[in-house]
Amino acid sequence: MKAESALASKRYTLEDPSGVQEFFHSRGWTDGLPVVPPTPEAVRACLEWTLMAPEQLVGIEQVRSRPITAEKLAVNAVMAGCLPSHFPVVVAAFTAMLREPFLLHGATASTGGCAVLVVVNGPVRKELGMSGSFNALGGSDRASTAIGRAVRLALRNLMDVRPGDVDRSTLGHPGKLSYCIAEDEEGTPWKPLAEERGAPQHASSVTVMAAGAPRQFMNEWTTKPEEILDTAASEIRAVMRHYSIWPGNYALVLPPQLRAHFDAAGWSKADVRQYMFEKARIRRGEWAQCGKGSVVGAHADKEYAALRSPEDLLVIAAGGPAGGFGAVIPPWYGSKSDAVTLAIGACVDCEV
Amino acid sequence: MAIEILDPSHESSGAPFERARRLETLAGKTLAILSNGKKGTKPFFDALERELKGRYGVAEVVRLTKSNYSAPAEPPLLRDSAKWHALVSGIGD
Repeated sequence: MKAESALASKRYTLEDPSGVQEFFHSRGWTDGLPVVPPTPEAVRACLEWTLMAPEQLVGIEQVRSRPITAEKLAVNAVMAGCLPSHFPVVVAAFTAMLREPFLLHGATASTGGCAVLVVVNGPVRKELGMSGSFNALGGSDRASTAIGRAVRLALRNLMDVRPGDVDRSTLGHPGKLSYCIAEDEEGTPWKPLAEERGAPQHASSVTVMAAGAPRQFMNEWTTKPEEILDTAASEIRAVMRHYSIWPGNYALVLPPQLRAHFDAAGWSKADVRQYMFEKARIRRGEWAQCGKGSVVGAHADKEYAALRSPEDLLVIAAGGPAGGFGAVIPPWYGSKSDAVTLAIGACVDCEV
Repeated sequence: MAIEILDPSHESSGAPFERARRLETLAGKTLAILSNGKKGTKPFFDALERELKGRYGVAEVVRLTKSNYSAPAEPPLLRDSAKWHALVSGIGD
């Protein structure tokens, strides 16, 4: 088996296991939470699960020409609490992040406080016990939390994305600890996100998006899809007014109570995207209403769309069964980074 | 009981970059200034250009601006680099 190749990482032997946590904290290798000790055995188990050799390249970060190997990614996945069965999702997510359109260095170094949102689709969700239900986006289950944290710890340790180093965020957000969600495919007639974005039907897949914090909205007082989406579009317009006017990938998370109204009215995800494309717009002059009058310039009447096209919106079915809540997840900064979808297990050189 | 653990960092010995060779003098030279494209670079580099020409005798300053301040400079922007004696890559916010 490939994973039997020698592990190349430097080894440390700690005589007192109770000192493991301080050992990692003192070297800046953690996010402040305890980590699982990355023993050679645990790392090998991850590599064996994915049939990856330790030296196998997951990809190369192009700005600093930094190779990311399977072994190093596995070390960080173990630390984050991942089981071997979680590791293929971490590999796929990081592979997707290293694709050029994602602009990994910019997204993770920016003052803009971006986190990497990982959306998981396909059979792997059920295999790993990812729920996509209660408390989605906030620690809904073990696999979602560990996979999201693995991505962040790998950025920290393999790309130096730690606060004040490469991470220049003015303000972060809680998603920078872990930001992973599984789509509730069984609870909706809608096509899974990854499949809509070109992944093979029924394949396990990930979609990564350079994302701001989720912004919850609520509308329990209508059954009309248009009115529910008017609330969501209003939330996006608030982002455009208060944060960034530039268009890019937004995510819209819709839980079951709201989705029921779309199902009853026969709305597809494509219908949702088209409506949002038309409604999520502001005029530049609106900036004058929120303290940004100095940059309105001579184009006050110019209209700006939140989405370059309807396809920019990632519609995700997820959330607990009760409550008329939804969430808008804005892009890091317009279209500088594009969301990337990748089938789990796809080779580095393969296109979805 | 002792525990053996693996280093989670990239373990690189440093960035694979070297400092550019320094010019002996700026007088009569052609310098390029590459802005990351943020608004704050404009007045700052205007002032820098005046200083370079007025105080150090730089013959010509070529001003370049990236189209995406979060990404590396696009190659076409640097196609004339053989004509410059030095390039300053600057950021602003």
